[in-house]
Amino acid sequence: MAKPASVRKPKKKVNPLYKEKITYVDYKDTALLRKFISDRGKIRARRVTGVDSQQQRQIARAIKNAREMALLPYKSQAR
Amino acid sequence: MVILDPDLEERTVAPSLETYLNVIRTSGGSVEKLDVWGRRRLAYEIQKKFEGIYAVIDLQAEPTAVAELERQLRLNESILRTKVIRPDLR
Repeated sequence: MAKPASVRKPKKKVNPLYKEKITYVDYKDTALLRKFISDRGKIRARRVTGVDSQQQRQIARAIKNAREMALLPYKSQAR
Repeated sequence: MVILDPDLEERTVAPSLETYLNVIRTSGGSVEKLDVWGRRRLAYEIQKKFEGIYAVIDLQAEPTAVAELERQLRLNESILRTKVIRPDLR
């Protein structure tokens, strides 16, 4: 009845940065960074984005820099 | 990167930034690129303004010269925001 413990198999994700051959995440590239924030303006978690931890840090840094320069919102009213 | 007042005339931006950049040049640094993006919508309001004129400057100079440049930029009231980023620090 109860499902066995290992039923949930996470789908293997392709790393979106490797796919586009990006080695340096630029804070000015808002089109790219927007893929890594939710519609509320929050930074997406690594388990959602599927990038490795170094890249996630770069992305987070870039998003925060972009927010300071009003390129990305801190919060978004869209629900 | 600099955000300037949207009420400014866009074509006056580059020359006025150039005068600021003399601080870098006289101290032995070099200005590699001055890129004025033009008017752009801000993601949130800064000093009651929803637009800004963006400009990106690439330069190489001593930290003291950069600090002086930033200080002078911040004194100017038509400059909404500045941010200095070291691109080699990855």
